Amino acid sequence: MNIPIRQGLNRLFTTAALLSVVLIVAALVGILLPMVWRGGGAVLFRGTVEFRRMQLEQFNRGDLSTLRGEIEQVTSVRQRAWDILDRFAAGLDTSELATRVRQIHRDVGVQLSHRGLLPDEVQRLRALSQQLRDELLAAFGAADKAEGSAHLEAVLSHADEPGLKDTAAAVYFDIARQYAHVLTTVDLSRRGEYAQALGEVEAAMRALLGPRPGERLPAVVMERYGATRWDQAAQQLDRLLWAERWQADTAGQTLKKVRIPREQQFAGTELAELFPYVQHNVRAMLLPRWTFYGHYFTDDSLSGHYFGGVGPEIIGTLAITVLAIAFALPVGVVTAGYLVECAGDNHATRLLRTCINTLAGVPSIVFGLFGLAFFVIYLLPKLGLPAGSSILAGALTLALLVLPVIIRASEEAIRVVPLAYKEAALSLGASRFHCFITVTLPAALPGILTGLILSLSRAAGETAPILFTAGVAMGPIPTSLAQPTRTLSYGSYDMAVGDKMASLAPYNQFGMVATLIAIVLLLNAAAIVLRGRISKRLRGQ
Amino acid sequence: MSQSSDSPLSVVSSAEPSASPFTRPLLLTAAEDWIGWFLSKLGRAALLAVTGTSVLAVGLILVFIVREAWPFLRDRGLSEALGSTQWYPQAQGREQFGMLALIFGSIYVTAGAMILAVPTGILAAMVLSDIVPFRVRQAVKPVIELLAAIPSVAYGFFAILVLAPLLQTYLHLSTGANALNASLVLAVMAIPTIVSVAEDALWAVGRELREASYACGATRAETLLRVVAPAAHHGLIAAVVLGMMRAVGETMLVWMASGNACRIPSPWWDWTQSVRTMTATIAGEMGETPKGSVHYHALFMVGLMLLVLSLGLNLATETLLARAKRAAGGKA
Repeated sequence: MNIPIRQGLNRLFTTAALLSVVLIVAALVGILLPMVWRGGGAVLFRGTVEFRRMQLEQFNRGDLSTLRGEIEQVTSVRQRAWDILDRFAAGLDTSELATRVRQIHRDVGVQLSHRGLLPDEVQRLRALSQQLRDELLAAFGAADKAEGSAHLEAVLSHADEPGLKDTAAAVYFDIARQYAHVLTTVDLSRRGEYAQALGEVEAAMRALLGPRPGERLPAVVMERYGATRWDQAAQQLDRLLWAERWQADTAGQTLKKVRIPREQQFAGTELAELFPYVQHNVRAMLLPRWTFYGHYFTDDSLSGHYFGGVGPEIIGTLAITVLAIAFALPVGVVTAGYLVECAGDNHATRLLRTCINTLAGVPSIVFGLFGLAFFVIYLLPKLGLPAGSSILAGALTLALLVLPVIIRASEEAIRVVPLAYKEAALSLGASRFHCFITVTLPAALPGILTGLILSLSRAAGETAPILFTAGVAMGPIPTSLAQPTRTLSYGSYDMAVGDKMASLAPYNQFGMVATLIAIVLLLNAAAIVLRGRISKRLRGQ
Repeated sequence: MSQSSDSPLSVVSSAEPSASPFTRPLLLTAAEDWIGWFLSKLGRAALLAVTGTSVLAVGLILVFIVREAWPFLRDRGLSEALGSTQWYPQAQGREQFGMLALIFGSIYVTAGAMILAVPTGILAAMVLSDIVPFRVRQAVKPVIELLAAIPSVAYGFFAILVLAPLLQTYLHLSTGANALNASLVLAVMAIPTIVSVAEDALWAVGRELREASYACGATRAETLLRVVAPAAHHGLIAAVVLGMMRAVGETMLVWMASGNACRIPSPWWDWTQSVRTMTATIAGEMGETPKGSVHYHALFMVGLMLLVLSLGLNLATETLLARAKRAAGGKA
């Protein structure tokens, strides 16, 4: 081959190779960035007045008087929106009006009989009231505008009837006038459609602003508050302003999503003014403000994971991880010390090394199976502890998992302690044990610490071994080691796949996994820094 | 060779070399020496006992997985497990435990991951060992190690909530949770292992071969591909096998990303279909299986197969790495 081709191939190879490194780094960034970015939204976001109300009511946090002022401020703005909605709903909901009218007729009858009028007069007025009632009911039932108006006019023509003055019947005429107004604005043929859409609008209003003032509190915490975050508010506002319909362009084709502005949907009705009003005043209704929710890392979660934070998950992760390391570290360091200091090249040592490598290669789910079969079902019940997943079982399983990591790191750390240290100690008359404890181990400590930190991060992230041994998706904060716990890793899995409600709160979904990633990355960064220092010190000698 | 096991007369100074008075006699009595010897042996035995934990753990894992898988083997036999693709563990009275589809799923996503990860990983290892300056290598290596540190559940989270919608939108698939998704993310997970082991292997080849090759006029690509890589082939294969082990044993990611449809895709090369792996089956079904049922034992059988597979791969890597070490040692 001639030289230009060879050089070209060489360049091609170099480019491809460099590209692969770039690809790997890009993968790291591409995977971490969306999760950390979106997870960061759980802690730093624009919180609304609803968020501050939730914090005060659920976690007793924040300033009551300031919040009261804010709530007063927003209530006045919100009230008008609710009023518009109510007025429209009243006109639309004829069954309620019909009930009212019937009640009025009964009231009129009672009132008339207590007036001391002549029986004939009472009879006449009662008949009139009945006539008015029937006219109104007919108007409510009318599907045609002209027909309805005719009935209403028939009612209103009796408005000056002196006999009905100061009785409940006066309300007939108010209702008739109101409904006349409704008739001029509402297209009666679309009443059913309006009723359904109105339900959607009201649900969206509730989701945006929370339950209306004076209403009974919903039992579910999630429904007691409107949009607590500005990004969430934008979504709910979108739901309020746009109707989504699935329509087929032509029959038989797949349905397509079509967005119709609600303003257009309710065009010509009283409700139409609600949408521009809410759109322009949503800021005043919710008062968004940048919020740093540091308590995210300590708060318990509410309503599934809709509100609150990941406090119990962090505690559970710490408990299991630290316990696992506490089991594994002594065994690991002793094994490493034995391998470096005592072991010769014989069968026992070789078996030991093979076993350590095997242990490192066992798939994590098999550790989970083993933990279930051995610790949960076999060992712990024998020790008098309740069978079933528990922190203890999970920690023991994880301890086996991280044991090879600790052994390898410690062995490496002990091996690189300069021989001169040991020789000096031995020459001063220290026994080998004494030498190991007072000289080798302290010198190897940073290296062992690095391994410790790495195995902490490994144990914190492992999910498969604790699936059947320690993890639960929901549950109280454990009070003893014999209870199962929530952990960040199991929670991340559950929020991504298991819990359907979690997708309503994507910030908390991503917040959980971002917390896990942050913990793991911090531990690893600490390990990297520590290792850098060690290598610097070793090079210095 | 411990100090106390020496003969009582050979005095190794047990005093400090200062002017302070000796606190211990220079000479040990016979009894003292025996006690010291005995203690040292005892200490060693105790150490060995603690050390044996790992051996014990491996033994216990084998024993307990086999113990729980045994009822399945006894009652149903290996022929059902390996002879059928029908996995219907919940069918009342007509349960079927054919594991071929699961095994195929594991191999399928692993193969997909390896196709992506092996070239990338080995090229990256070559970059780190031969192409970029040492300083850059020191900066890039921790970044690649970070990839290994990210928990698999976080990868799974990414796969199902970030990558799956993207795949679904841009490739117009019916679902984003499929073998392609699992393979892509699995590749990213396996790369750090491959890079790290392969780089060690390339590094261990030494300067002489490289310098000789360059002296003959070879370009860098030729040196790396035709001299260094063949010399380091044991280590490189070990890197691939280790990456494979990581991929086969991976649970959370494949469970979340692969779609968990228990069948062999048809046509077989259609990577955008959902598959289910052995690990995902255990993780997904063990939680709701009554202890002691056939299904329960069948899942342990799947676990046993995984264990055997990983033991086999492990043994292979150890042999390969030992050979690599010997080869490097022989040349140096």
